[in-house]
Amino acid sequence: MIEYPEIDRYASLDSPMHRFDPRAKIIAFIFLIFSVVLIPDLKIAFIGLFFAIFLLILSRIPIFFVLSYMKWVAMFVLSFFIILAFTFPGEELAKFYFLSVTAEGLYTGSLITIRAFSAIILIFPMIGTMRFDTTIKALDRLKVPNSLVQILMFTYRYIFVFVDEFQRIWTAMESRGFKLRTTLYALRTIGNAMGMLFVRSYERAERVYQAMRSRGYTGNPKTLVEFEIRMKDYLLAVSIIGFAISLHVVSFVGVV
Amino acid sequence: MRDAITVRNLSYTYPDGTKALEEISLEVHEGERVAIIGPNGAGKTTFLLHLNGILHGTDGQVEVFGKSADKEKREDIIKDVGIVFQDPDDQLFMPTIFDDLAFGPINLGLPEEEVRERVEKALLTLGLSDYENRCPHHLSYGEKKKAALAAVMSMEPKILVLDEPTANLDPRSRAELIEIIKGLNEREGITIVTATHDVNAVPELADRVYVLNKRITAEGTAQKIFSDVELLKETDLEVPEVFKLFEVLQCFGYNCEELPLSIDDAIEHLTRTVENEGGHIHLHIHKHTHDEVKKLKSKYEHHKTNK
Repeated sequence: MIEYPEIDRYASLDSPMHRFDPRAKIIAFIFLIFSVVLIPDLKIAFIGLFFAIFLLILSRIPIFFVLSYMKWVAMFVLSFFIILAFTFPGEELAKFYFLSVTAEGLYTGSLITIRAFSAIILIFPMIGTMRFDTTIKALDRLKVPNSLVQILMFTYRYIFVFVDEFQRIWTAMESRGFKLRTTLYALRTIGNAMGMLFVRSYERAERVYQAMRSRGYTGNPKTLVEFEIRMKDYLLAVSIIGFAISLHVVSFVGVV
Repeated sequence: MRDAITVRNLSYTYPDGTKALEEISLEVHEGERVAIIGPNGAGKTTFLLHLNGILHGTDGQVEVFGKSADKEKREDIIKDVGIVFQDPDDQLFMPTIFDDLAFGPINLGLPEEEVRERVEKALLTLGLSDYENRCPHHLSYGEKKKAALAAVMSMEPKILVLDEPTANLDPRSRAELIEIIKGLNEREGITIVTATHDVNAVPELADRVYVLNKRITAEGTAQKIFSDVELLKETDLEVPEVFKLFEVLQCFGYNCEELPLSIDDAIEHLTRTVENEGGHIHLHIHKHTHDEVKKLKSKYEHHKTNK
């Protein structure tokens, strides 16, 4: 079975991150994410990583859930780490045949890895602590361009329909004896199945658009939502942003 | 009674040149329930999309309460005509049920207060009161189908157009949906236009039937349409099971002129017959019975022999 991409599976828990006003949360976390990916110093990057983990624990989202997403990121980031370690010019630490590991390479590789992990971990307390439709509405209230909001909104709605649709195509293929192999035949069959999915999606898009027009769609759908921002939301947002700034102040001054 | 929908000589040709509808003329009176039946690919859905100005005929006119569906602004037509599409996944395109039900009323430019009231009311009518914050992908097919109807009801249309409302539903959801649609017509006087090939639902959902097969091939009461064997053969249509059963009973000597179409009709019919015939019903087998039953069966086998 293909799993649904449910980033908001734990949105119904209760934690300080869950109670954080969606708009304030998005702004504060985006600030923090930009801050951690721009840290120039490895030690401070570690402080950023610990803070990210701290916020994750505070959000009470199960670690295994985060790790299940992290593994894909890890595969991607670790390949960068290896490439950088072997190719960055600098002081040679060890040599394997013609490849050599440099200290500068290890340093830069680690820095990039830690920054990436911190950023990905921060995504979870940010959008994993509210339902995705709330995220979309918060973005809309934050004056994110309406067409972007609509793209997100419809993607979120129809990704589940397409997963189901592909699942049905796949089951139909398997029940007629198809096995996934790395043969040209199997690849061609998958190509056909994907093509079928595109055709069906195109036809569905046509019907959805007719349904939208039937209910008065003119290009700027609005939603009704009540957000209430309180003093504690301001405080929390200000302290997260303050932390984000101080990471850079510290590395600039060079205290650590 | 004034006309809710008037269609005159409507023709529609797909951009690729295929003729979908030819010279269609029909009218639906206010408060009436009309079914449009016809085989797959007969143009039922295409026809329905003309009723609120989503598609425009290549020829002919569609009028809704005297307003031209082609010339009026679309907002003025859609607030009177609500279309419920066959696949609820096409209809429910917003992230939550609440957003979806609010979509139409917001587009009509209603104030927030009234939007919320209408959503509340539509949810109540469809028995979906706790579903506000649910996402469509967490609902069963039957629930989605009801939500799709609710999303149109929140616009409070005077005419409700339903495309295959009973398709793919389990018996319970099917019965519930039929009851809801009947109720909307009886209690709120909403005009109902249903496109379907579920002939067993026709007697419950319609007072009058149009047979559509690119053109209108017949019009009349369900009774009249289902009695026309030639017509049914031509358009590959079925008749309700109850109707067939009473035809069989006729072969066994049951005396009736107008065959019942639904269970309710049948109960009424049987009661009347029993009362008239002094407390019982008389059935018998005589020498023609078997021949008549055979003839009757072959009459409904045209689906097999044609293909």
